Amino acid sequence: MMAAQDFNFLLATDSYKITHYKQYPPNVNKVYSYFECRHKKGGQHNEVVFFGLQYLLKKYLAGRVVTEEKIQEAKVFYQLHFKQSVFDEEGWRKVLEKYDGRLPIRIKAVPEGKIIPRGNVLFTVENTDPDFFWLTNFIETMLLQMWYPITVATISREFKKILAKHLKATSGSLEGLDVKLHDFGYRGVSSQESAALGGAAHLVNFCSTDTVAGLLMAQRYYACPMAGFSIPAAEHSTIISWGKSREKDAFECMLEQFPSGPVAVVSDSYDIFKACKHIWGDKLKERVMERSEDSALIIRPDSGDPAQTLIEVIKILEECFGCSLNSVGYKVLPSYLRIIQGDGIDLNSINEILEKLSDEGWSAENVFFGCGSALLQKINRDTLNCAFKCSYVETNGKGMDVCKQPVTDPSKGSKRGRLSLRRNSDGLIETVERGAGKPQEDMLVTVFENGTILQEYTLDEIRKAAQIWEEDVSPSEHNKEDNTSLEIHQKLIMNGVH
Amino acid sequence: MRHTSPTSKSPYPLIGQSTPLGPAHSDSVTHPPQRRRLVESPRGGEGTTELTAARDSSHVKEKMEQHTGAAEFNILLATDSYKVTHYKQYPPNTTKVYSYFECREKKTDPTKLRKVKYDKTVFYGLQYILHRYLKGQVVTREKIQEAKEVYREHFQDDVFNEKGWNYILEKYNGHLPIEIKAVPEGSVIPRGNVLFTVESTDPECYWLTNWVETILVQIWYPITVATNSREQKKILAKYLMETSGSLEGLEYKLHDFGYRGVSSQETAGIGASAHLVNFKGTDTVAGICAIKKYYGTKDPVPGFSVPAAEHSTITAWGKDHEKDAFEHIIKQFPSVPVSIVSDSYDIYNACEKIWGEDLRGLIEKRSADAPLVVRPDSGNPLDTVLKVLEILGKKFPLVENSKGYKVLPPYIRVIQGDGVDINTLQEIVEGMKEHRWSIENIAFGSGGALLQKLTRDLLNCSFKCSYVVTNGLGVNVFKDPVADPNKRSKKGRLSLHRTPSGDFVTLEEGKGDLEEYGEDLLHTVFRNGKIVKTYSFDEVRDNGKLKESELEDLLL
Repeated sequence: MMAAQDFNFLLATDSYKITHYKQYPPNVNKVYSYFECRHKKGGQHNEVVFFGLQYLLKKYLAGRVVTEEKIQEAKVFYQLHFKQSVFDEEGWRKVLEKYDGRLPIRIKAVPEGKIIPRGNVLFTVENTDPDFFWLTNFIETMLLQMWYPITVATISREFKKILAKHLKATSGSLEGLDVKLHDFGYRGVSSQESAALGGAAHLVNFCSTDTVAGLLMAQRYYACPMAGFSIPAAEHSTIISWGKSREKDAFECMLEQFPSGPVAVVSDSYDIFKACKHIWGDKLKERVMERSEDSALIIRPDSGDPAQTLIEVIKILEECFGCSLNSVGYKVLPSYLRIIQGDGIDLNSINEILEKLSDEGWSAENVFFGCGSALLQKINRDTLNCAFKCSYVETNGKGMDVCKQPVTDPSKGSKRGRLSLRRNSDGLIETVERGAGKPQEDMLVTVFENGTILQEYTLDEIRKAAQIWEEDVSPSEHNKEDNTSLEIHQKLIMNGVH
Repeated sequence: MRHTSPTSKSPYPLIGQSTPLGPAHSDSVTHPPQRRRLVESPRGGEGTTELTAARDSSHVKEKMEQHTGAAEFNILLATDSYKVTHYKQYPPNTTKVYSYFECREKKTDPTKLRKVKYDKTVFYGLQYILHRYLKGQVVTREKIQEAKEVYREHFQDDVFNEKGWNYILEKYNGHLPIEIKAVPEGSVIPRGNVLFTVESTDPECYWLTNWVETILVQIWYPITVATNSREQKKILAKYLMETSGSLEGLEYKLHDFGYRGVSSQETAGIGASAHLVNFKGTDTVAGICAIKKYYGTKDPVPGFSVPAAEHSTITAWGKDHEKDAFEHIIKQFPSVPVSIVSDSYDIYNACEKIWGEDLRGLIEKRSADAPLVVRPDSGNPLDTVLKVLEILGKKFPLVENSKGYKVLPPYIRVIQGDGVDINTLQEIVEGMKEHRWSIENIAFGSGGALLQKLTRDLLNCSFKCSYVVTNGLGVNVFKDPVADPNKRSKKGRLSLHRTPSGDFVTLEEGKGDLEEYGEDLLHTVFRNGKIVKTYSFDEVRDNGKLKESELEDLLL
């Protein structure tokens, strides 16, 4: 696959990097850097899902990314931007001449979908030709944007853990888990490309989405023909366009237009409680009862305090339609009736809502969730402390481990030397520093070398790698275990095993 | 890679390998009430075979790309799924849907003191969306076919409005029959006013208005970046004026460090261009490219930068050679400003010993046009800035400016680019003022806070239907949820006006048609696939600049 033609790789970096080739020590011939989600004391989310590198490689880095035209465009551009000549025209021309415009870079990475504890190397980058020592960190800017798909996939998986725990406890099974959290985030992200990337990252864990762009990304970059599903659903415009006095007609139209599959109807245009009690629970009650499990009506509140509103709605529906007890003793609405809460959902509120529901005797089976900005936008590079740092250089062919270690913030310290990732004899994943790792143990796989992608993953493989395990769902044990592993991990570091 | 059955974890995934928790097998998916299985679909089957083969064969992969039209944007696939089903949901005989966009005014909880109110917003970014995604022939036979196939699998049903899209293809040659009216780009408008309206221009295409909601609502992002960046400009203007008596250099006081911290290349382009509405310093090259492509400026480039070090170019010299790294780099750039990150090991030692003693002679030879700019990059931002200034102030001769504030010699400056957001910025400049340091000494860099730590809720951006025509009759519509009065929407056709006193006012229910209210500030920018009004980036900047009256208010 070739990177996009109109994209100029030479213009896809922080300005200052244009000047860095002049700043490394003379006779440097290798720069080696790595990416990690730094471990932060007291931080949340102790493990991350590695996802998204393949997209960046295919879209921006693979193939012939340097051309004479692009060099000329960049030269003119940087002359104006810096108001002086600093651009390394000769260096780039050498990439063109020696490698036909392909990048003499090697990237080794954890397989996509792998769950890795914070504080471990996730990928490394190095130049493969001593002439191009400056290229390693030129692509930092672009590669560091990996924070985004990693963070979305990780947060989405944290949602899944919470949902799994409650679903198991209140229904006895995990049926339907992978459609419990629907992606509502398309409009709330910052661009079409982010929608695609974030939408696809959510699909690592779930298969329920309205962010069509994510499906296309999964199709085009991760070989998944159809990664997620949706159902017909109303929005406010399709309800209020009937006029305030005709909300019932609008609702009825929905039931008629979509008789044979599930349908979601936003019901808070004027008064969610009256809509549930008088319209769904009275005027249209028989129409609703005619529906089946396969064509459920899914009522959507969309304002107010999420937990309170949901509890009140479910109680009204119970009064109107009744409920039954499931095998583990929790209440379930008739199978033709469900609720989706898509307003105000984040990791905290979803847990609170599910706890309140189970406190009141309701199974999580009754509810689906939709999440927009908390899933795709309300996150940043600090959520998982993603960093890209140089850890090793060779000068005159002689290797040297390097690191930063600011006195003003020890948590910003970086790893040293060439890195590898292994599972140790205790079963724990750990990073081996200073080039001490055994190649046969290394979990990092060369995915990119000299412009060619060497290893690809399908979304199916990624989903398998990222699946949830039993321990993830029983938090008490999980935490205990996590602490233990952390302690062991730290002990190893202190004993100088690395 | 060896298989890693975690010894400390159960060797079994929760519900067995055959049906893992994750949606690993599309045929094990339990979609709430599932109707048909994906595997039954001929396209799904075919796709699977093709994709398996594609892993070993690049020419097949290329074929697949062509097949799915990888490179090309498809407006039919750039919306929330549920919108695909909406044409069936509007009242029968609906012939027009009219919607609008606003940054809702939020009645804030008086007990919660928010430091920045954001009571006005900068309107920016529509032109990018129109140019990139909406203008021209955006519907083709192939795109309709592609969408039809995707949605059949996605909904497991035929709900796609193929007929409606074919109508647009045939009658309008694939151009969108909608009209968009908007305030001029760069306009600074109080919250709670209409910013743009969208309506269908063909009675058959009533459903198209809200189809484009998803893509248009993403304008929340450039609006929010430009607005937040402008509020920071106000803070900087105030303190710069108070501590130096002039606004010289204001446009370079907040440098964009956000490229790596945003969620995609496209976001970088949009967000960085929005910052450049207010400032001229940026390292996010993508923003300049977006401006050149979608707005245009009379200057060849709208943003500038200077040579600067990063940690790798310092640490690559080894811990014992930080001084050599510093010396090498300042010598490489003798005649232009150069910024050097100095906290790789110990920022205070670097300032005191290396800059203040070892390399002092070299720095003193630099000019006001080519200062050394020292960059701390860790620690509490205010404390660090003050301590760095204090150390440098002892090593280099200070002067007092006309306002009585301390200024380092013109060949040395400081840039703080870590932990800078609108709140810490306020704290740092206030702290500097308290300690009698002029804002002339410093510039700021901001990354995540400038371009990423923002959401649609900061300015309550929303797009709502306010008017429909059904059976030939216009109806003013609105939502008004009992549980949240803030979510109430406006009614009817809308227009934006200025009152004689200069205030902005949105008139609802078509009242702006009456001549007495003066001209509508919303101008048609897009009609039936054509962009009918464009703004240059110079106009955008001019509309968004700090007004005299605002500066006066700031300095009160």
